[in-house]
Amino acid sequence: MSHNAYGIPISWFLTVGAMLFCIGLFGMMVRRNAISMLMSIELMLNAANINLIAFGSYLIKPVMAGQAFAIFVIALAASEAAIGLAIIIRVYQLERHIDADKMTVLKL
Amino acid sequence: MTIFGNVITGYQLAFVAIAGITLLAAVMVVLLPNILKAALCLALALFGIAGLYVLMNAPFLAAVQVMVYVGGIATMIVLAIFLTHRFMKVKLFDAIYNPLLGAGVAAITFLFLFLTVINSVWVKQAVANGPAEQGSQISNIADSLLQTYVFPFELITIVLIAVLIGAVVLAKEDTGNNNES
Repeated sequence: MSHNAYGIPISWFLTVGAMLFCIGLFGMMVRRNAISMLMSIELMLNAANINLIAFGSYLIKPVMAGQAFAIFVIALAASEAAIGLAIIIRVYQLERHIDADKMTVLKL
Repeated sequence: MTIFGNVITGYQLAFVAIAGITLLAAVMVVLLPNILKAALCLALALFGIAGLYVLMNAPFLAAVQVMVYVGGIATMIVLAIFLTHRFMKVKLFDAIYNPLLGAGVAAITFLFLFLTVINSVWVKQAVANGPAEQGSQISNIADSLLQTYVFPFELITIVLIAVLIGAVVLAKEDTGNNNES
């Protein structure tokens, strides 16, 4: 089994990433509050980041592909959170709720 | 230290502790009915993930995670909760709908992912002889961002400025026809 520089098998990190992804998937499916769903998306993006960095730590050292792409993922996650929360606040201003099942403002 | 015949190093113990805290906080994020407490648990989970990054020999990413996620996104989510829930009147309640369906789909997905992880042979490509020196690692990240991946890097800057403008335009209240909000 392959271990990283600290002697931890890569499968441990991948398992934790898979668990986090599935927890986020569960939250995405069972929640109706838009902010809760956004938090679940953050968990899933972080699970993807864990996989990227775990694989990246096994590349030859000068290649920083895993960490570079993790930085891109973090930047896009921040963008997604900013836009998502702006939309949620706007919907709340218009409709006084943030229930994803009742968001019909596009149909007006 | 030896547990069940396997030699457990201190780093592995640290991994188990940090991963346990992270996963517990993540479960709390999706299960707690009070979404303010869920947001605080999200901050804890993101902090734990930063700890995992340290154990993956990525200290720079851990710092970025703490600054951007814990300091930025978690704060932003708490702020959005404050803005969209009138505290004194409305309970911060978000029920769980279709828990069996959600748990079933999540369990099946995890089963496939886990079987893939444990059935694959992960071949180590490079000899990782101890944790890399932190300074050289950060300069390597900078090199790959500004040489190999310079196009996505520049694209991200455009996306970020578009997001800044878009978020301000979206969240700004209309001063025009519908003033009732």
